[in-house]
Amino acid sequence: MVILSLLILNKAGGLIFQRDFNEGLKKLSSNDYLVLAGTFHGVHAITSRISPLRDLGGGGGGGLEVLESDKFRMQCFQTLTGTKFLIFAEPNQPNVDVVVRRVYELYADYVMKNPFYQIEMPIRCEAFERNLVAYIKPKQ
Amino acid sequence: MPISYYLRGDITNPPSSASTTPTTMTIYSFYIFDRHCECIYIKQWHQRDRTFRPTSSATSTVDSPVTLSSDRHSAAGSKLQNEVHPSGRGGRLSVQDDAKLVFGVVFSLRNMVRKLSGPDDSFISYRTGSYKLHYYETATNLKFVLLTDVKTSNLKVVLHQIYVNLYVEFGGFCYNYSASMVCLLFIVTKNPLSPIEHPGGEGVAVELFEMGLDSFIVSYCTLRRVRSWLTRLGIENNTGLTYHSAIGYTR
Repeated sequence: MVILSLLILNKAGGLIFQRDFNEGLKKLSSNDYLVLAGTFHGVHAITSRISPLRDLGGGGGGGLEVLESDKFRMQCFQTLTGTKFLIFAEPNQPNVDVVVRRVYELYADYVMKNPFYQIEMPIRCEAFERNLVAYIKPKQ
Repeated sequence: MPISYYLRGDITNPPSSASTTPTTMTIYSFYIFDRHCECIYIKQWHQRDRTFRPTSSATSTVDSPVTLSSDRHSAAGSKLQNEVHPSGRGGRLSVQDDAKLVFGVVFSLRNMVRKLSGPDDSFISYRTGSYKLHYYETATNLKFVLLTDVKTSNLKVVLHQIYVNLYVEFGGFCYNYSASMVCLLFIVTKNPLSPIEHPGGEGVAVELFEMGLDSFIVSYCTLRRVRSWLTRLGIENNTGLTYHSAIGYTR
């Protein structure tokens, strides 16, 4: 399994977690990552707005879920509370949605249950990172 | 037969063949943007809900291929733009506003992808819960965008074919289409006299391009259906049916 990178966005579009797991994407400055997260947050909102089914009375159906490019494939998972998990993987990587769910579980277990974590703030939980690496790294 | 019959997996009142065939491809709309970020061509095949359209002129622009230039310059167009704009959240957008949003999304995503994985990478498509957007950009920064249903596979090749076989051949763009009202005058892009730029977002208003696009999309959809029937019957596709033959059909 080759997962390139993980980004977590809070419900306001702020970047609260970023980590690269494998080579493949460029390393950006932390400011660029913040800009990227903000941009994506906006784009995500618009993509649900331009749905053609909206006009046909079929409902918006949510925002962007999978983005494909020549070199990577990004899966976006939005929780009910608006937190977004962005997983960058190789283009032909299967079952990324399973990985996203698992990462969400780890987030719930090690971030949300951490009494010192302030909600919507950047994630600095050692246990979360440790478990994340343990889950993603060994499978490559 | 109306083109929408082939293309539309009608949500409210589905035609029997379209809804039961899992391989049916639904195409919603198609956009071209030039390198000055102007939308030079819009075509929407899906029918919009008409309850928000007060005048008959408003509905007609949606049914017929929408050309920016004609809306922009004619008096009816400007009137229409004022009327159809619904205000507030959740209202339906006009065709032009849709195009602006599509451009914004495509432009931002393209820049995002380039930033992350280098200037030679470009995004191919994205998918939401209800539709899929395919994207193709030429070396001259022309952007082709196609919205389809989610089950459709990669259509980059199709967009490339539209560019090569339809845009370059017929997509001669009338320079002053609506200003001069010389309707459906067409100049081939290969013609040295034809303009490369489209200042002010002059639309692509060439009948041949329109017809070519329509028949290309229809024949592509039909072709896919025929091929899926063949595979279901266990017949190998050795008939030479490819999308190239679909193109040949249009020319």
